Amino acid sequence: MVDQEQDGMLPIANVGRIMKQILPPRAKISKEAKQTMQECATEFLSFVTGEASDKCHKENRKTVNGDDICWALSALGFDNYAQATIRYLHKYREAERDKAAANNNQNTADIKSYGGLQVPQQNQTSNLEFRVLGKGDNSLVTKP
Amino acid sequence: MRQPRRYSGLTMCGGISGRTGPHSLPLARIKKIMKNSGEDVKMISGEAPIVFSKACEMFIEELTRRSWMTTLEGKRRTVHKDDVASAVVATDIFDFLVSLVSGSCCSEDITPVEIETLEKS
Repeated sequence: MVDQEQDGMLPIANVGRIMKQILPPRAKISKEAKQTMQECATEFLSFVTGEASDKCHKENRKTVNGDDICWALSALGFDNYAQATIRYLHKYREAERDKAAANNNQNTADIKSYGGLQVPQQNQTSNLEFRVLGKGDNSLVTKP
Repeated sequence: MRQPRRYSGLTMCGGISGRTGPHSLPLARIKKIMKNSGEDVKMISGEAPIVFSKACEMFIEELTRRSWMTTLEGKRRTVHKDDVASAVVATDIFDFLVSLVSGSCCSEDITPVEIETLEKS
């Protein structure tokens, strides 16, 4: 098989690993079985993407998102996958929100310690910081 | 020692440990396959490949389990390609794979002797 063909499929090493983890310890998997599984998993991906993409197209949306994938899984009969991935998606979104909130707190701390602009000590409020960064209004900075 | 990363806890609910990293399948490759699946697929959100890594993992697990059932019926311990094909044929929701697994096997319609006869005529 040409390398280019392999690039268009899920990596056989990852596929083989997932298979191995689900089977009993002494079970073996032939190379051809892994290749077939690799092809099937790749086809699964394309198949579900096609369904999700059709939905987006009908709804005049350009971006296929996580909810579309979950919907497509359900529409194609993979209900148990749909339920699990919906839960997974919610956990992922929560984790992203927590990460974004943590980053915002970190940024605020950085602004206060940033020595590039002379922020008057008595005016170290969040409002002042916001205005200095947002508008670059030098009149505030040079004010005694 | 490799430390668990932020999302390794998410993979635990699928029964897969965080050993292979946060996701068991490479997101960039998943995205590439999604883009190749059709002309309509133009933009893909960041979370879509992540959702898919989970769904593909579950798909592989299910098909593997079903294939293993066939392997056991044959009193073997090595999963062969035909076991995977049998599992596909036996499962309604895997109908979309039937042509893929039957196409990868040798065609039984024409025997080698018949092919030679056709070539000579």
